Amino acid sequence: MRSPFAYSPRPGPLQSASAGAAVAYLGSLVAVAFIYSNPIVLTATGVATVLAGRLAGARAAVRAALWMGFTLALLIVVVNALVVSRGDTVWVRWGSVPWFSDIVTAEAVTAGAVLGLRAAVVMVAFAVYSACVDPDRVLRALRPIAGRSALTATLVSRLVPVAAADAGRLRDAARLRGPGAAPVGKAPLARRLLAGSLDRAVDVAATLELRGYSLDAPPAKSRRSRSRYDRRFYATGAIVLAVAIAGKALGADSFSEYPATEIGSGAATLAVAAVVALSGLAPLRRPLVRKASDRTSRPRRTASNSLPAGVKI
Amino acid sequence: MQFGGGAHTELQTASALTIEGLTYAYPEASSPALRDVSLTLECGDFALLAGRSACGKSTLLRAACGLVPHFHGGEISGHVEVAGIDAISTGPGDLASAVGYLAQDPETQVVSTTVAAEIELPLEMRGDPPTSRARAVEEVALALAIPHLLDRAVDTLSGGELQRVALAAALVTRPQLVLLDEPTSQLDPVAGDELIWLLRRLNAEWGVTILLAEHRLERCLAAADHVIAMDSGTIAYDGSPRDFLTWAQDADQALETPSARLFSLVGIAPLPVGVREARRKLASRSAADGVEADPLQTACTFSSPTSRRQQPHSPPKKLSAEGVRLDSTPALRARDLWVELFSNDSPRDVLRGMDLKVSSGERVALMGRNGAGKSTLLKAAANLIDPVRGKIEMSHGIALLTQNPSDFLVRERVGDELPGDAGLAALRIVGLERSIDADPRDLSGGERQRLALAIALAGRMEGDELPGLVALDEPTRGMDRARKDDLAALIGELATRGAGLLVATHDVEFAALFAERVVLLGDGVVIADGPTAEVLSGGWYFATEVARVLDLPGVITPEQGAAALRKVEEGG
Repeated sequence: MRSPFAYSPRPGPLQSASAGAAVAYLGSLVAVAFIYSNPIVLTATGVATVLAGRLAGARAAVRAALWMGFTLALLIVVVNALVVSRGDTVWVRWGSVPWFSDIVTAEAVTAGAVLGLRAAVVMVAFAVYSACVDPDRVLRALRPIAGRSALTATLVSRLVPVAAADAGRLRDAARLRGPGAAPVGKAPLARRLLAGSLDRAVDVAATLELRGYSLDAPPAKSRRSRSRYDRRFYATGAIVLAVAIAGKALGADSFSEYPATEIGSGAATLAVAAVVALSGLAPLRRPLVRKASDRTSRPRRTASNSLPAGVKI
Repeated sequence: MQFGGGAHTELQTASALTIEGLTYAYPEASSPALRDVSLTLECGDFALLAGRSACGKSTLLRAACGLVPHFHGGEISGHVEVAGIDAISTGPGDLASAVGYLAQDPETQVVSTTVAAEIELPLEMRGDPPTSRARAVEEVALALAIPHLLDRAVDTLSGGELQRVALAAALVTRPQLVLLDEPTSQLDPVAGDELIWLLRRLNAEWGVTILLAEHRLERCLAAADHVIAMDSGTIAYDGSPRDFLTWAQDADQALETPSARLFSLVGIAPLPVGVREARRKLASRSAADGVEADPLQTACTFSSPTSRRQQPHSPPKKLSAEGVRLDSTPALRARDLWVELFSNDSPRDVLRGMDLKVSSGERVALMGRNGAGKSTLLKAAANLIDPVRGKIEMSHGIALLTQNPSDFLVRERVGDELPGDAGLAALRIVGLERSIDADPRDLSGGERQRLALAIALAGRMEGDELPGLVALDEPTRGMDRARKDDLAALIGELATRGAGLLVATHDVEFAALFAERVVLLGDGVVIADGPTAEVLSGGWYFATEVARVLDLPGVITPEQGAAALRKVEEGG
């Protein structure tokens, strides 16, 4: 079974956009999550990332990231509540315990929740990136800048699914061993997987060699370097960043955790939150308006109609 | 049609591959893998590289594409020239435009996320402009009949599809020479035949020179116009396919094809290089001898639509033939078995209400196309997969050996894998009790497979009594015929000891060798079930070469074929 975070080629603006445009857009949302601590803006950023993922068709990735993100957020809330002794509103007082705070405060819980929310938002954004942005295009964009890093990344990106399949096979083989055979612990299994992965890495590296990866050929222009959606994502990313920076300067990030929680909800905060949340609509695809006569013959993607403009067979 | 405009030209004068006095040893190897190898492939040749396992075929292919010595290191002497380029002084990257290479395992031969990106990669690395890349990708996709796969992610493809994509990536630069290392070993008979004839078409229509290493010679000998046989790192034979068969008759009978064996048993010369030639030869011989009961005529009569309907391709039959024990204890009984697996992010019924019974001591071959449900059935029997409906009952447990025996080997001493009396008993069953102190990595391929089987058997035996069912999943991948004979003997021995044997295989000749019954799966259901001689003589793809030559009911091996021919001649 494939990982929900694995890239799947799907039609859609975010998938069609160039790697730079997609990174600019999703990166602006991640930047907001790091710049801001105000829970209203962070929540809006979370809404934007979830919306973007769902509109891009990455529902499974968003769902898995939310599950993992909220689990991590809960852990952060609990740890923060147990180790931080700041805050006016004491909920529980339990005496002195080494390494732990002697009180649990509402402010520590809130501060933990804000940290957890930030972590969850960043995870969802990366999940959407992983599921929607073609890693080949990213690696090829990187190759002229950092050839060796791109080669390593290509090897790793291919080896992950291969190693996952190998691990599944090794687990099956371990389960099929007779009760009279020496049992296989996790350590020998991991050693075997590592040894096998090194062999596999050699094979994949050999394939890369044969494809000419080590050639010093001039960097080829990408066949899909530009998309009609690029402007949309570059513009949205720029607007989000500009509004976030301006909002920060105007006090939109008004939030204080200690000694008492104060969440700013002024006009600037609400405006930044609204702009950021609306940016989640960027991957929205304009509905196709077709004539009634066209509805019966929906064009299928063939090798021929996927060619760049001007190329005919 | 035109691909990426590589080293291919209208008039090719240089040889596609010239090797002179090549000797090569891998780093830290005690002896050379190649010794004084010399050969020449002219442009447009379709050459078949034959030989037993570990005779140096893969190393030779790797030397021809520059991986040896540039990637593997080691010591090399001699001269290798590909399309006029010195392969020893030039790296594989620089040879990429002149030579394409396709190895056995397609999993490690794709490096991109999508099919289109994978095929385009070599052109992009070469710096070709986008428009010419688009055209080359389009044309190679059309040539290999995979345009519908272009937008797919590579990790959603089947083995056969992946193999075609890897071949497309090897061909897209329009290389002068294509090297293939057992490309059909993981494919079912249908996909394997398709691949061989696709290569033949590329060779015939576009002049691509092909060097193909294969163990199943009967599959590709007819397509080749040149055979090179290797033995212990040297060239033992280099010549035409017909002369190769005559040579193999004396030098190494493990390299004989079944139809050649059939002819040599009957004493017909020259030996045939394929099914068509064998049929023609038999027909002309019958006509010349004035034999009334021409076997081909007999076959044609038998092949009439009416009689075909009585063959085991029709609905599954109850067993009744000799050698099949209807009343013995079932080692496995599956009833209304449904198994659902996820494929391409959506659930798919891989087994659909399957009913199957395997008796103790019975030797059953489980066959069918890739994805038909063979491995899934074995995994469900071994409790690795839970059925969504139906039941599997086992009388005395199961020992399952999966496709890669190496997955079972995790320690550095045979005795450490199998300690105690139970381990020793299992080693004794497979004949490895004397190798208890050996390192599994030092064992031969066949011995490693036996050791893995012993690991699966250990502790599942009561004294010397085996588990009810011993199942093997595709055990002959990459095996030469001598090793297949050894495995068939082991299977026979295990069955004699009372275990039911269920072996999933794509290899029809191997099934004819060991099985007494064949179960043919199609899309998760049993589509034919009967005695081996009946099932493997009643079709085209799932039929042995002898069955395809003679098309006589129940005749699948060269020995049976020879007996039938003699009988026909005596009757004439």
